Amino acid sequence: MKTLSVGKKGFLPSEVIEAEIDIDVKPIMNVLIILIPFLVSVAVYTNLAVIDMSLPPNVTTAAAQGAANEKPKVKITVLVAQSFCAITLGDALLDSIPRAGDDYPYDTLAARLLVRRAAADVKDEVIVAPRDGIHFKYVVRIMDACKKTGFDKVSLASATESPAGGR
Amino acid sequence: MNLHKKKFSAAVISDIIKPQMTSLIDILTLLLVFLIQSFNAEGTLITPSSDLELPLSSSKQPPVPSMMIEITHDAVIAEGKQLASNISFAASPDLLVSSVYAWLSRQKSADGGPKRIVIQCDREIEFNIVKRVMYTCSKAGFTDFSVLVIED
Repeated sequence: MKTLSVGKKGFLPSEVIEAEIDIDVKPIMNVLIILIPFLVSVAVYTNLAVIDMSLPPNVTTAAAQGAANEKPKVKITVLVAQSFCAITLGDALLDSIPRAGDDYPYDTLAARLLVRRAAADVKDEVIVAPRDGIHFKYVVRIMDACKKTGFDKVSLASATESPAGGR
Repeated sequence: MNLHKKKFSAAVISDIIKPQMTSLIDILTLLLVFLIQSFNAEGTLITPSSDLELPLSSSKQPPVPSMMIEITHDAVIAEGKQLASNISFAASPDLLVSSVYAWLSRQKSADGGPKRIVIQCDREIEFNIVKRVMYTCSKAGFTDFSVLVIED
């Protein structure tokens, strides 16, 4: 009959050592099996967020209520058409960026906005003015580009369809 | 002799079918790490409507529960009730959507005046529809808008 002492463990045959260090994994498995369905039920796969925006203040009302001599400040406006987007300030067209394939070039737009913002009087507010046929996903992306540039307030207005201004 | 043989083979079989748990535990551990990463202790405050696809955005601003209006492919919905179908007002010369205005006015008077409204809008909806709904909201006294998006 063999007797095995702790001091002699190093000389044991490998099969005997394996038999000694066999871990009972049943409790771990039980915990995992309970924990996983719970975590699956509370897991969040899509993170929701919001973009705050407002409608542009009615200039006519503001002018009527405010001082008669004070001119309303002109804000940078991003016009979104089917084939291009443009940065305007009042009546002046500052930049026109053509649509590239299926999407608008948001990085180019953000870069141009950054330049125009530096020269603008109102640096924290921008008006996004899409035309009627523009899908909402593009509007959101353009609002993102505006926020990225540093405009805190984004107002949403509607751009009039103008045959001279392109589609 | 026969019985002895049978006993021997049963012992061998029990040794052979001992399951290897290491790989299974590896998989479960990886799964556990992934699930813990996607665990959200706060829970979801806003549930997006199932019949619309929200637009993607880089915004990180968390949503706050407030009055909500949904613009799906076909209709404007609030609290599970269809207020107006998109076709009925899309081509109208008037920007105000009367049925939506009536509902919003009722809510405004009942709630005592929250000014914020969250718009859930399908990503493929044309701006023509959105602007009419927003105009109607503003006429009903809602001046602050939030658009619900999916974080990119």
